[in-house]
Amino acid sequence: MLGEFEYLIITAAACLGENAYSAAIRDEIENATGHKCSIGALYTTVDRLEAKGLVRTWMGEATPQRGGRAKRMIQVTAAGVRAAEQFYNAVNRVTRNVSWAPHRRAMETCR
Amino acid sequence: MKFPNGWWWVECIAGLLAPGDRETVLGDLAEAGESSGQSFLSVAGLVIRRQLLVWRSWRPWLAAFGLAMPASFLLMGFSVSVAQNYHAVIGATVAQATGFKVGPGFTMLLCDIGLLAAWSWTGGFAVGTISRRTTWMSAALSLLACTFCLARFRIDSLSRLCLLLFLPPAAAGLFLGLRIARIRLGAALAVAITITALTIPQWSKPGAWLPNWALSWPAWYLVAIASRHKAPLRSVMHGE
Repeated sequence: MLGEFEYLIITAAACLGENAYSAAIRDEIENATGHKCSIGALYTTVDRLEAKGLVRTWMGEATPQRGGRAKRMIQVTAAGVRAAEQFYNAVNRVTRNVSWAPHRRAMETCR
Repeated sequence: MKFPNGWWWVECIAGLLAPGDRETVLGDLAEAGESSGQSFLSVAGLVIRRQLLVWRSWRPWLAAFGLAMPASFLLMGFSVSVAQNYHAVIGATVAQATGFKVGPGFTMLLCDIGLLAAWSWTGGFAVGTISRRTTWMSAALSLLACTFCLARFRIDSLSRLCLLLFLPPAAAGLFLGLRIARIRLGAALAVAITITALTIPQWSKPGAWLPNWALSWPAWYLVAIASRHKAPLRSVMHGE
């Protein structure tokens, strides 16, 4: 099963689609979690995901705002999508009856 | 795009990353517009994480602590022995002005020189092959051993530099080991058999078997990896 940081990367890459590359994924994770995402953690986790066959990476185009340096493009593979679905379902199942689950909170408000 | 002055340090530490990583990491940092201090810490963090991952394998430990350091001590001892033999055989011949006579001492000297070169070369090659990403640590431990011995060398008739006779062939082997993953099976077998044959005259010396085998196993390791991968040789730019 995926770790939570692995899940964040796969989800961010899936949301960004064709524009998924390391810097954009980092931004997406920082915006979603409100925490700083270190380059070291991001790159080593992407390497691990690639080794597991859950993402595919390649060198993309260079742009002027990157100082003419190439991007590391990231694409989620079919196995990556399955692993993310598994993680999401497991989190959903385990949090079904906890007080902070959205539907549970809504039910308590109705009562 | 022109980078500010502090980026020089960032570029320096990024030099420790693989070329592909370096390109994308520096690009990401430029795009994020992070300060040079933050960028330095980010890249240093990645370098440390990468190194820690590499050191989780047994290979860097074997290359650095099982081969580079102990072999450096043993080869320095053997270098001094070769230098002393050379001094005794060639020096005596020249002093007596009797011309160039080939005797048993001279043959032994040639064997020892060949053995020193072969042990050093195969040791260097094996270090480069076993763990190319941690060659810096293997080289540092070898240099540490050299510094230790150079500081304690006390033989008046010999120069301290004779300790380092093993370094040129070892460095040549290391560079070739880093450039190509392995040598051909035939060549590896020839080197290993030659080394083993050259150690035969040393078998009579008591206690010589331990350094002999400690220095000969890299040659048989090269045979093992050559026989495991009989595919054509390929150039290895980076990675294990």
